[in-house]
Amino acid sequence: MPHTASDTDTPLRDAADRIDLDVEAIAACVDAVLSDGLYWFPVRHHSPMVARVVQRVISQRRPRVIFLEAPSEAQHLVEHIVDSRTRPPIAIYSSFRDDHHALRSAANLSGHGDEPARYATWYPLLSYSPEYVTMISAKQVGAEVVFMDLPHWAEMAPARDGDEADRVREPSPHDVEQLMFESGFYRALADAAGYRTWDEAWDTLFEIDRPERDFEAFRRELATFCAAARATSSPQRIADDGTLARERHMRRVIRDTLAARNIEPADAMVVCGGFHLFMDHADDADPPVVPAGTVSVTAVPYSFFRVSELSGYASGNRAPSWYQTCYDLDERGATDADVLAEHVVATLKAARKLGEAVSPADAIAVTQHARLLANLRGRVAPILDDVHDALITCCCKGNPDTDGHTLRKAIDAIDIGTRVGKVTDRLGRLPLVADFYERLDALGLGEVVEREQLIKLDLDKRDELDAQRSAFLHRLLSLGVEIGRVFGAGGELGQGAIFRENWQLRWSPKLEPALVEKSLHGDTVERAATTLLRERLHRAAHDADTSCRRLVEAINMDLPDIVWHAETTVGEAIDTDGRFVSLSGALGSLLLLERYATYRALRRERLTELIERCYDRACFAVPEIAASPDDQWNDVVAALLALAEATMQRDGLDRDVFVTYVRQAAALSTVPFLRGALLGMLTEVRQLDPQALADELASYAQAPPEQMIVAGDFLNGVMAVSRTAILLGAESLVRAVDELLSAAAWEPFLTMLPRLRAAFDRLHDRQRDALAGHVARLYGLAEHESLTQIETSVSAAAMIADIDRRVAEIMKEWEL
Amino acid sequence: MAKRTTKSDTSAPPTNGDAVLRRPAEVDYADQLEALRQHDAETAPPSWRLSPRAVLTYVLGGKTLSAELNGAQTDVEITRKFYGDDAIVERAIVTLASERALLLVGEPGTGKSWLSEHLAAAISGDSTLTIQGTAGTTEDHIRYAWNIARVIAEGPTPDNLIPSPTMTAMKTGTLLRFEEITRCVPDVQDALVSILSDKAISVPELPGANTVFARPGFNVIATANSRDQGVNDLSAALKRRFNYIHIPIVADKQTEIEIVQRRSAELLKRYALPTKIDKPIIDLLATVFREIRDGRTAEGVSIRSPGTTLSTAEAIGVALDAALHANYFGNGAVTPADIGRHLVGSVVKEDLADLAILKEYVTLVARKRGASDKAWQAFHDSAMVALS
Repeated sequence: MPHTASDTDTPLRDAADRIDLDVEAIAACVDAVLSDGLYWFPVRHHSPMVARVVQRVISQRRPRVIFLEAPSEAQHLVEHIVDSRTRPPIAIYSSFRDDHHALRSAANLSGHGDEPARYATWYPLLSYSPEYVTMISAKQVGAEVVFMDLPHWAEMAPARDGDEADRVREPSPHDVEQLMFESGFYRALADAAGYRTWDEAWDTLFEIDRPERDFEAFRRELATFCAAARATSSPQRIADDGTLARERHMRRVIRDTLAARNIEPADAMVVCGGFHLFMDHADDADPPVVPAGTVSVTAVPYSFFRVSELSGYASGNRAPSWYQTCYDLDERGATDADVLAEHVVATLKAARKLGEAVSPADAIAVTQHARLLANLRGRVAPILDDVHDALITCCCKGNPDTDGHTLRKAIDAIDIGTRVGKVTDRLGRLPLVADFYERLDALGLGEVVEREQLIKLDLDKRDELDAQRSAFLHRLLSLGVEIGRVFGAGGELGQGAIFRENWQLRWSPKLEPALVEKSLHGDTVERAATTLLRERLHRAAHDADTSCRRLVEAINMDLPDIVWHAETTVGEAIDTDGRFVSLSGALGSLLLLERYATYRALRRERLTELIERCYDRACFAVPEIAASPDDQWNDVVAALLALAEATMQRDGLDRDVFVTYVRQAAALSTVPFLRGALLGMLTEVRQLDPQALADELASYAQAPPEQMIVAGDFLNGVMAVSRTAILLGAESLVRAVDELLSAAAWEPFLTMLPRLRAAFDRLHDRQRDALAGHVARLYGLAEHESLTQIETSVSAAAMIADIDRRVAEIMKEWEL
Repeated sequence: MAKRTTKSDTSAPPTNGDAVLRRPAEVDYADQLEALRQHDAETAPPSWRLSPRAVLTYVLGGKTLSAELNGAQTDVEITRKFYGDDAIVERAIVTLASERALLLVGEPGTGKSWLSEHLAAAISGDSTLTIQGTAGTTEDHIRYAWNIARVIAEGPTPDNLIPSPTMTAMKTGTLLRFEEITRCVPDVQDALVSILSDKAISVPELPGANTVFARPGFNVIATANSRDQGVNDLSAALKRRFNYIHIPIVADKQTEIEIVQRRSAELLKRYALPTKIDKPIIDLLATVFREIRDGRTAEGVSIRSPGTTLSTAEAIGVALDAALHANYFGNGAVTPADIGRHLVGSVVKEDLADLAILKEYVTLVARKRGASDKAWQAFHDSAMVALS
């Protein structure tokens, strides 16, 4: 709805006053740019209002050429983006492979292996993105569009040692927006006006239509805002984030293009982020040289979800569907009351579907509330923040964090929307994407991408087709292509099925972009998976656990070439990795692989050799855990249990080696929890008498209070590893606990309490029952045998009840 | 139950000069309300004393206004009355200007009644039209009652009718406060349904024009304790007529310290206590409350939390008790030992098991800190005495 008044001027003036901004200087700077022969128009990514205004400007000015802040390497895509068969949301995907190590060598740093680094960037376009509308409008007036932004890899900082080879960068507009957000002017404005978020500030200032503000007034307001933000930004931050380099490139493109086409500046127009309007035109430094390498640029379907912030895309749009509604309804001449009503009704409808009891009366209340809130907040029309607050106020009957969960889900769903874009089929697919679709069809999995629904797939890998399907799906998972989840693929030692896998598959808009993203790893799914796994193996060179997991992945993905390579890597990792937890994990993976060996033609003798070597080295590393810090205890205990289980279950592993080193570690350890765990483990494998373990615990009763208080840690360690030992030695253990508690004064007892409680929390019901029985006997309440004999008499029942009560009292006294 | 009726002169709000233990907000903050009125350039809804934006400024503070008070030009600081998310106050004010009534819901001690009182004071200039919900509240307390002796003598006439605060609020176009609405039984709560829908109360005992219609500006601010949830939940019909606004416990430590400091100072002033509470003492008090409430100490140690809600209001209560003790039995300065001494009553209320939880905290956390910090040592020692 058009509005005739705004309360936004006051906060802007307040903000300027707060930071002593030289308003006249800013105004002069704005005048200089806006009166330039070349027509500069400031935009913000994904802004419907800017899109509408830029459309009006282009249709009225009818320039011959329009310079657009978009990646120059994607210039050839313009015709496909404006093709009538292309339907946003779409994204320009641009990736670069640093074949010549130009970025790395620039800093003279060593990289990892010979694999070239890869960099990729996305530029999403919605139907109301000013950049997209600029291209469409240019087509309508017959103007040429020139992408003028610097290729993203040219502004990339050289790789640092240890960086991931793959980088997916956020689009450049985000960086500039971050600069504006950090600027002194914006901070002062947010304080003065009470804006809670950058989006709230933007929507208040620029997304609400005001008829008195024609497009020139709009251009001036936005330019002034950006000029103030730039003037109060850190020059160092602007230099560091590559803004200056990009601006040099933009100026060069504009100058060269105008000269080459012999076009007067007045016949051209520049559409770019408002921050860039105030670039330093006197800066005559050359733009950076664009490094040579392999470049892949294409346009791919995108989705509202991907664009939204919820998808993790930092420069996204918080509510793509809301802004789409604003844009679409405005195109049809609707008022903002219509937008509000449509959005609120849709949200409440979604909430009703999810089970919320909301009615049309609520919709009326929400719209009224949103309008009043907007008014109170100094806005002439509600923005999304007001709508959210109104929905929560009028429809959530309780705490929004708990009672409002369903409503929030509905709000998110309607704000974001489910729209998926389409790219004209005149633009070919990348080889990896094409291979994906071909393999999908060949394996009879085509229906996965036909519609967005859950498909369950039960595979028996003894069947050749199912084996191929399994390998293909595992390769996709390894590539990070979200196509579904697998259940029952291997698992813990001795658990689960070897041959069967249950998959749940579902198409997602992320699927194709993910494939495009991985296209630099190879032209086929198999090659890309192989390349990626090879890199991961390389990075895990001295990590036994990770190397073995990679080997399991190689088997799952049926990549025989890399299996051989992985076996070598694993052997080296086992020999060089001295960490107990890592070696224990590696052993678990190798034992799992041993089960596959029979049907995957793995070299059993090689595996056996690796398993025995890994087992021995894991045993040798046990003393290393004697002084582990407490944040590692859980991992240490889990690894110790896994190693013990392997010792018990697999033939050919020397149990004496394990016992020797556990004993050695127990002797070394002065950490009560670990000492308890190690002695408990010895009891568990029948190498230590339960009475000796109980004596160790009881010895704390005679210790001074400062030592006595750690008895809880010791017992906690014992119970972390002991299972059968608790039952076997329950009587002596109960006596030891009793002795300890009898000796403890109140304060030491309180200090011990949390650990004692943690120790007993580890017990299963059966173990608790066993202990309770021993407590009963210890206090002479009854003989266990006689209890079972008299269970049928009435007097026995009464006696049992009495015993139960007294045992419960004792347990309560112990705080158990 | 009705706290005040407009018929009784003796129950009229005390003026600023009267010596009473606690004055209503519109009296205590009369200067601020008047200053805001003088500067209010915006249109107020019918019967509102101030525009919504001026009400917002009154509650959130942060301005100093020059106003003519008692014939003299005076700078009046508008103090902040509510700490927390500003949007909560905005939503509350907007609700009161709309068709729906307002229900402030939250844990005990989160400032629901405090906010309700200030909103009523700013909007209607009267925060005393209040019904206190209890199990004994009847429909008469909500609608109207009769002077039985006069009815027997004269029959039901308008003069014999005793209006409830609700009826008074309807007639004057002001706000009704309904405290602890969920303590009332559902049948009684439902007496509000027709009042909120029709904005009218009919008095069938009276002949002729027997309906009292609400004037514009009438609305209801109710409060409910989330601990009472499930006891006397509002019916679906009544829920629909209320906008719920949840008041959370203050999440930020510094804000909580600021609240305790400011409110304690106000209470000390009210009790005319010369005692002062230094910031490190408030800091210790807020730390103890936050850690026990969150079940985790600053060092990352997990501890058990009691069943009692340890709200900021409880912390203020402990500060006041400690100040009273220091004033009458100490040297006037509140010490960590005073805090330790008075903590037990706040933490151990509903469940005696909370005693062990507090003891565990004092033993595990306070004692350890006491080894290197005298304040914590003093706190530990006195708390242990109180716990024994």
